[in-house]
Amino acid sequence: MVLVLALGDLHIPHRAPDLPAKFKSMLVPGKIQHIICTGNLCIKEVHDYLKTLCPDLHIARGEYDEDSRYPETKTITIGQFKVGLCHGHQVIPWGDLDSLAMLQRQLDVDILVTGHTHQFTAYKHEGGVVINPGSATGAHSSITYDVNPSFILMDIDGLRVVVYVYELIDGEVKVDKIDFKKTTATTAN
Amino acid sequence: MFDDMPAVSSRPELPVKSATLDVTPRFKDLRSVQWRIDLGVLPSSPSASTDDLRRVTADYRRRYASLRRRLLSDPHTFKDGSNMPDLAMDNPLSQNPESSWGRFFRNAELEKMVCQDLLRLYPEDGSYFQTPGCQGMLRRILLMWCLRHPQNGYRQGMHELLAPLIYVLQVDINRLCEVRELYEEHFTDKFDELSVHESDLTYNFDYKKFSKSMDSPSKSNENARKATSLSDLDTDVQQIVLLSDPYGAESELGILLSEKFMEHDAYSMFEALMSGANGSVAMADFFSHLPADGTNNSSPPVIEASTALYHLLSVVDSPLHSHLNELGVEPQYFCLRWLRVLFGREFKLVDLMVIWDEIFARDNSKIESRDPDGFAIFGSARGAFIAAMALSMILYLRPSLLGAEIATSALQRLLNFPQNVDLKKLIRRAKSLQVLALNAASTLMAHPLTGELDHRKPNVRGHSMSSDSLSPKSPLSLVPDSYWEEKWRVLHKEEEGLRRTGSEKRAPIPSKKKGWTEKIRASLTRTESDPSPAQTKNVRKGLRATVRRSLLEDLSRQLGSDEGIEDIIPQDKCSNENTSSQDSSWVSSDTSSFLNGAVDAEKLNAIYDDSENYASGESRVPISDVTVDSSLIMALNDNCIDKEEKNVKDQKLLLGKLQWLWRFGRGHASEETSDKGGVTMEDPKPSYPEANQNIETESSVMDETHKPCHSGKGDGQDLNMMGTFKNLGQSMLEHIQVIETAFQFQQERAQVGPLESFSKNVLVGKGQVTAVAALKELRKISNLLSEMTVVALTHKFLRETEGRVRVCTEENSEMAMRQFYNEIRGMKVKDLPSHLKLMCSQDYVKKSIQRGLDNYHAKYIQTSSVDPLFHVCFGGMVFSYLVALPEERRHLEHQQHAKEHGGH
Repeated sequence: MVLVLALGDLHIPHRAPDLPAKFKSMLVPGKIQHIICTGNLCIKEVHDYLKTLCPDLHIARGEYDEDSRYPETKTITIGQFKVGLCHGHQVIPWGDLDSLAMLQRQLDVDILVTGHTHQFTAYKHEGGVVINPGSATGAHSSITYDVNPSFILMDIDGLRVVVYVYELIDGEVKVDKIDFKKTTATTAN
Repeated sequence: MFDDMPAVSSRPELPVKSATLDVTPRFKDLRSVQWRIDLGVLPSSPSASTDDLRRVTADYRRRYASLRRRLLSDPHTFKDGSNMPDLAMDNPLSQNPESSWGRFFRNAELEKMVCQDLLRLYPEDGSYFQTPGCQGMLRRILLMWCLRHPQNGYRQGMHELLAPLIYVLQVDINRLCEVRELYEEHFTDKFDELSVHESDLTYNFDYKKFSKSMDSPSKSNENARKATSLSDLDTDVQQIVLLSDPYGAESELGILLSEKFMEHDAYSMFEALMSGANGSVAMADFFSHLPADGTNNSSPPVIEASTALYHLLSVVDSPLHSHLNELGVEPQYFCLRWLRVLFGREFKLVDLMVIWDEIFARDNSKIESRDPDGFAIFGSARGAFIAAMALSMILYLRPSLLGAEIATSALQRLLNFPQNVDLKKLIRRAKSLQVLALNAASTLMAHPLTGELDHRKPNVRGHSMSSDSLSPKSPLSLVPDSYWEEKWRVLHKEEEGLRRTGSEKRAPIPSKKKGWTEKIRASLTRTESDPSPAQTKNVRKGLRATVRRSLLEDLSRQLGSDEGIEDIIPQDKCSNENTSSQDSSWVSSDTSSFLNGAVDAEKLNAIYDDSENYASGESRVPISDVTVDSSLIMALNDNCIDKEEKNVKDQKLLLGKLQWLWRFGRGHASEETSDKGGVTMEDPKPSYPEANQNIETESSVMDETHKPCHSGKGDGQDLNMMGTFKNLGQSMLEHIQVIETAFQFQQERAQVGPLESFSKNVLVGKGQVTAVAALKELRKISNLLSEMTVVALTHKFLRETEGRVRVCTEENSEMAMRQFYNEIRGMKVKDLPSHLKLMCSQDYVKKSIQRGLDNYHAKYIQTSSVDPLFHVCFGGMVFSYLVALPEERRHLEHQQHAKEHGGH
């Protein structure tokens, strides 16, 4: 059983001062095995903070990231699942399912995690999942100012993924859960 | 998978157990079942039928299964079961400790800790405990237990308590499988085969003889098939069949031994062991940091148990106790480890199981009549046995512990318990100690345990004896030093006389001996009365001493060695009552065993045993260490009390001491001996002022007589000699302590049995006290002996140094060094401050050089610095300069000379 935290678009310090306090208190080291970050952190301090939560940190590069060494896309294998990571500003139209599915096929992943739209979305698509964790700080996007801070936590266990969605609405953390089962074992490795 | 599981045949036999328990355990061959009964898992009443056992077992298994279902649930499955749990609470990041995820993370943490320990559990290659199945089982059981007892939690060591339990179960199950293979038909459903059964019985008769020989395992396979009736099987096998017959009663009852339910059974055993099953010894207490009764003033149970152990030690063996106390070896330093895993770290698994057999066989129920303030560990027979076992282990190490000069080395010995111990002996002693522990606990505990409770005990008889001040530390020193000395002296002389006469005539002639002692005594009294002619007397005495010495020499040749003499003393005391011809043969056999002077525990034990045999041969006393000792003492006392001439005794004792030292000198004559002889003789002065004079004069005589002997001895001999000294000192110490212990036992006995007549008590007490005092003196002597070793070492070191210095230095510097050395030589090691004394040993010098080299290595070589290169260059430069210096100087002088005198 592996817990994977996925979050992105923090835009610290440009659009938000910090993660919401409620999120910060929930994110404690020791529970999470991997962190997937879709980019736009944007400064190194945030990177360091994420490292404190879990040393196994994967980041794709957003357009505002200062650190240019982050890759545009990244794929990692966790258990039976192959997870693809991309910020999403490269995929146009932004947040479009078909375009994302294309990227998903391109990367040949079961779970594609993208960001950039600052809106939480999750699609089950062609035997895979396309997820956008939204903005963890609730920073405004270039599309909308109405953003609720949110991130997701994936509980990967064998062929099963349970996605917990944490969203801060009116100062309260709402948790939702999405189940996803993979039918066949991946041929990834 | 179970490659290394011992086959049934390799199981340790348990003669000790069956021989010593009052009742032969019902399942003596099925250790796991027996343990379960002992631990209170299964009903212990002999009337409990196999069905009862099965029923209880099934209950435990059911309980465990449901517990496991409840506690070790996965958060996923849990959520699936319950409909729509509150996600706000039940999510992985939830802060709520009550959430299933919170529990999950806690369990994971615990599991990690447990796994870490399990990986290191008997990690030998291919060990049974390292197989995945066993690891999983261990982990689950430990987890379950910890979850069930959150107040205890997991502590290191618990896994080592559990491992033997599982192992025992596995061994028995393996045995079951084997038996099942052999006697297959008994395990099949018999309802259909009733007819077959009948027919078998008819010709059963023919095979009677075969079934008798069935016991031998080699044939059993063939014959087993013939022995078809259940009652024909030997009882062990029958037991197994009965216990594991699934159709024995209602089919719902489980079988008692089953691989499938090993985990369940192991858990029930573990839980019973940890909780003590309503008894007084609960292993879980040993792991807790909190006082058992919840009050603040008491210490945690394990600390209390350690204190109890030391208390017991002080009763049984006060010298060792005070020695350890002096070193600052706290009992919990090693007891924590011993008690928490019930000696699991100190013994191999096979041995451990035998010990556990004994421990578990003891009743764990609380003893009601006890003082509630007493040590908890003495509260039950099992606890007392555990303490006694620990004590027996300490006593086993006693010689080396007494030899330890610093706490670290003592602890090293305690924590590296030798592997090749005689287990039976250890357990036997523990048993006798257990009785003592229970008694001591109940009698002594009534008083507050300050650790010095020995004080009041000896007072009873001490007061009648002496008006001298009591030593604050040891309960044994109730008597003026001189008094005991006399006794000792007397004994010694008697024995010596015996031996002497034996050597001359091989027959005991007590009267002759008497005459001899009388003569000596006369000369000595004169010496004392008139100090000025003492010198002449001493000369005469010296002459006589030579005569005596030659006699002794003969004797010792006969006996094989002269070092053994003092070693035999305890036995001699015993044997004095016998004919001397018997004695000498017996003694000589013993002496030879002591010949090399290496005194280890085994030999001590040998003495014990010998005396044991001896005592039992005389059928005077029951067989046990305690009683043997007491018999010894009785003999001793008799001897002591016989003597009445008290004022003469001082002299006699003196003489004896000299003789004793003398023998030393003879045996390993050398410079050091005589030198140190002088030193040692000075030391005892304060302790018996009346005797001072004599001692001094005598010692001077001794020095003189020794002089010729030691002039030509080499270094090698020095070394030998030092070794012998040390050994002698140690052996003496040891024997003294043995006797002392015996006294204490005797005291105990005297106290316990108030029915004895008062007069007898007084008599015995008198004798004891004197003998005790004598022992103390002996101790002093042996201490001096060991001191000698140090001094001798230093001398040797200095001499070596001198030699080297002479070779290496220039003339000038040699002069300076010589002066320096002369200065040093004047000093006694005793004058040196103690920290310098330490630095004089060769070991220390070697070590410090080694250390320096290591430092250099670490600092320069390993850092691949250039410095060593410079050092070498510089050193070479200095060296070459030094080499060239004298030449250069001569040259310069020559030049100057030439200049002064103008030209060549």
